[in-house]
Amino acid sequence: MSDSALPASVETLRRLREDPHRVGHRGHGQDGPVQGAGHGATGPARKRIIVGYGFWIFLLSDIVMFSCFFAAFAVQGNATAGGPGIRDLVEMPRVALETGALLLSSYTCGLSFAATNARNKLWTQVFLLITGLLGLAFVLMEAQEFIGLAARGITPERSGFLTSFFGLVGLHGLHVTLAGLWLLTMMAQVQLKGFRREIIHRLICFNLFWHALDIVWIGIFTIVYLMGSVS
Amino acid sequence: MFGKLSWSAIPFDQPIPLITSLVLIVVILGVLALVTLKGWWPYLWREWITTVDHKRIGIMYCLLGAVMLIRGFADAIMMRSQQAVAINASGYLKPEHYDQIFSAHGTIMIFFAAMPLVIGFMNFVTPLQLGVRDVAFPTLNSVSFWLTATGALLVNVSLFVGEFARTGWLPYPPLSEAAYSPGVGVDYYLWAVQISGIGTLMTGINFVTTVLKMRCPGMSYMRMPMFCWTVFGSSLLIVAVFPILTATLAMLTLDRYFGWHYFTNTAGGNPMMFMNLIWAWGHPEVYILVLPAFGIFSEVFSTFSGKPLFGYRSMVAATLFICVVSMMTWLHHFFTMGSGAAVNTAFGISTSIIAVGTGVKIYNWIFTMYGGRVRFGVPMLWSMGFIFTFVIGGMTGVLLAVPPADFLVHNSMFLVAHFHNVIVGGVVFALFAGLHYWFPKAFGFRLHEGWGKAAFWFAFFGFWITFTPLYILGLEGMTRRLQHINVEQWRFMLDLSLIGVGVLIVGAICQVVMLVVSILKRDELRDTTGDPWDGRSLEWATPSPPPFFNYAVMPNVEGEEAYWDIKLRAIETQQLSPEPAYEPIEMPVNSPVGFYTAFFATVTGFSLIWHIWWLAAVGLVSAFAGFVVFAWRDVHEFHVPVEEVARADHARRAARAAVLESLANQDATS
Amino acid sequence: MSQPDHDPYLSAAQSFDGGDNAPGDEPDESSGHWVLNSNLGLAFSVVLTVAAFLLVHPNFIYGPDIPVALMVLAIAQMGVHLVFFLHVTTGPDNTNNVLALAFGVMVVFLIVAGSLWIMNHLNQNMMPMDQLLQMQR
Repeated sequence: MSDSALPASVETLRRLREDPHRVGHRGHGQDGPVQGAGHGATGPARKRIIVGYGFWIFLLSDIVMFSCFFAAFAVQGNATAGGPGIRDLVEMPRVALETGALLLSSYTCGLSFAATNARNKLWTQVFLLITGLLGLAFVLMEAQEFIGLAARGITPERSGFLTSFFGLVGLHGLHVTLAGLWLLTMMAQVQLKGFRREIIHRLICFNLFWHALDIVWIGIFTIVYLMGSVS
Repeated sequence: MFGKLSWSAIPFDQPIPLITSLVLIVVILGVLALVTLKGWWPYLWREWITTVDHKRIGIMYCLLGAVMLIRGFADAIMMRSQQAVAINASGYLKPEHYDQIFSAHGTIMIFFAAMPLVIGFMNFVTPLQLGVRDVAFPTLNSVSFWLTATGALLVNVSLFVGEFARTGWLPYPPLSEAAYSPGVGVDYYLWAVQISGIGTLMTGINFVTTVLKMRCPGMSYMRMPMFCWTVFGSSLLIVAVFPILTATLAMLTLDRYFGWHYFTNTAGGNPMMFMNLIWAWGHPEVYILVLPAFGIFSEVFSTFSGKPLFGYRSMVAATLFICVVSMMTWLHHFFTMGSGAAVNTAFGISTSIIAVGTGVKIYNWIFTMYGGRVRFGVPMLWSMGFIFTFVIGGMTGVLLAVPPADFLVHNSMFLVAHFHNVIVGGVVFALFAGLHYWFPKAFGFRLHEGWGKAAFWFAFFGFWITFTPLYILGLEGMTRRLQHINVEQWRFMLDLSLIGVGVLIVGAICQVVMLVVSILKRDELRDTTGDPWDGRSLEWATPSPPPFFNYAVMPNVEGEEAYWDIKLRAIETQQLSPEPAYEPIEMPVNSPVGFYTAFFATVTGFSLIWHIWWLAAVGLVSAFAGFVVFAWRDVHEFHVPVEEVARADHARRAARAAVLESLANQDATS
Repeated sequence: MSQPDHDPYLSAAQSFDGGDNAPGDEPDESSGHWVLNSNLGLAFSVVLTVAAFLLVHPNFIYGPDIPVALMVLAIAQMGVHLVFFLHVTTGPDNTNNVLALAFGVMVVFLIVAGSLWIMNHLNQNMMPMDQLLQMQR
């Protein structure tokens, strides 16, 4: 026990303060006030920044998850097992409509947050509603596409390629659906509780999520549909 | 109504799991009855189950990890004894049962023992070291813990209801596909790991945000304690790679449940893609575990040598280097799969390069001890044992990084010995060092040194007696996961390994005795100062145990080793810093949302495993309802009154003043 | 950016973080600036999207170049979204956000490129016999 018995004498502490091998250190208490304000060095950040940043990190992880499904699609792109290939699936007009709906919804989502910044409840709600309706249109078009494919016997059980196609596109559709549910709860919260601090934080996060889904869709319509149509 | 669930799911014909689970059920019922009789439920609910305090959550993580460590160790004992008796015989475990045991051992040890223990330490220590009052998202932290507990629960339910996977700790397809593993074993694996993996992902998000955005004033990046840096590296890796695990397991789930073709060996499925993706997660996972372990060792070496950490900046660089390069080495887990010379060479080189970063750290630790006044306390013993063990484990790893050499020992006992060498020698030793180091901070009394030292020596020698023979057996050609063995010459080494397990058991008993003795003698071992080891980072500035708000006033950091500076200034000026003006503190309120989420995650997971679709739907809808209700709550914070803050801090200052006085007396007499 | 007052007992309630922004947030901007940003973002996105959909028409540009052109357009449009919708800037108030984004891009690149590289080599080396025969035909 003696070797960990404490405290050590003042003399020892003083001697050890003069560490002769201070490799890789700055001196104690020599530098002035910390530069780098705004990066937590001046104390914890505000809640708004913490929440937004945490959600940003979550979005990155979500994008990484999508990248696995993209990788699977790229690897299994030719594994059609004698079944239909990508050219048999693509219906350009519907994809263009889907893209338009999602792009516009990103725009209205941005406008809704502009209204939130102006603390205008009516316009916030109106633009959120339009965003949700455009999202609903997107999901319905995608469902129609999947149902139409299934009617032609094109299902994920058919081949590795179709599995990776439905997996990737379906995962995005699932995200949009869940984001729609979230949007409904956000509209209810804004209506009933008004622009309280934590509700604005959630609106920031919702905005980030909705825009991120649009960015993923850019990847999907480029890599899956457009490149598929010319392959 | 109940999907695939029927009475035949209970293993009436297999005495070992049946008796084990019956004993477990009796024990659990006994504990529940005791809690009910003593009327402890309100206390447990208020202070632990719904807590959002990072220290309490950290302790619960460690408790969960410790229980599962024992469960995984029991599996290990069964495996080693089976192999020792099954030489030219069939042993006492049937093949299908043995397969479940080695699968459960790996799954439990990585996901439900090592991860919770590491995350437990992250939770307990990081906010204290950063000088803040909680993590970035306290309620989310509670959800993370309860989801991990859900996963652990599901794995253990598989012991009594149904079966566990027989596919190894990573369920390689096509064996794990529905065609070849039609039972519920793989489903138990998938849902248990998926649910706990989501919890871990949220922990990663939480700690990246905590380290980047929640530091006390003056705590710039280059002033953070080494442990915080490693926690940051580890959390970044969690955020980067746990989504890969989620995606991969989701793909296998789609294959199994809906007949899709991600990894099947028919209709264009690609089983090799599973190996590729799972190891893109699996290799960084090793570093997720070992980086915080490195952080623990850094703290221990520096404190117990009475010196600042040698080469702090190179240590930071090495941590971030490992963090990035660990994502570029995953192919070395399947050199033999046939990617060809170019790919194998590239990954062999990147694997060797990552050893450089680790080597930097080893030298830094050695030089930290050099010229220091080294105290051989229990944490220091574990750390020095770690250097010896880990260096050898690392060198066998560099050997395995060479593709031609790997071809010879791939999937042999050599590999088994290698990864136990680095994970036990790296992570488990760190956890025991950390246990001894931070236990007084958590509970207010130190652990018994004598029993701790005994535990170390038994574990150290037990480890080497167990695993050295496995290295030799691997070189002699013994493959892993053998239920019985037909080579008589291997008998001696297998027996020797079993003896090593016996020594390890003695070490484990010493740990338990250490805990019991320490609790009984807690008044003798009481830590009144809050600084039992002459520490250097901020957590030692708080009393032991710290108040739930950690700091009465947030410390202001003016250099590296924040607490060391404060302490020296106090000793030199013979007085504490002036009493601050206390203010009310805003703290997050308790929340049952974690427990609620876990309850419905358990219901949903269990019903999906057994194909009880209606119950799964009920679980999901309830979870969404809970989400909405949680969003509706009005009170997020409460204020700790000034009087309470002042009272806690006055007690702390009195203890510190007493230390100063005793130091002054010591000085006067010497 | 003014230096914060180094009060040794700075409490959490008074914490100061001048010069840091949450992603997707510009607290000091007026809503007019947001609307302008959204309008610009929409305009750029429409142009890029229409260009991408036009490109795939046969004979518009040299066939083998189409995938490259599509990738360029997609990356450009992702950039437009990041700048105009997600309000990511290169300013010091966005350092953490951009670094996190860069880290994410690196991870995505490692996973996708690594998987493709590994799996392509596997396919070449481990091609089933019937496919090998097919290639020889």
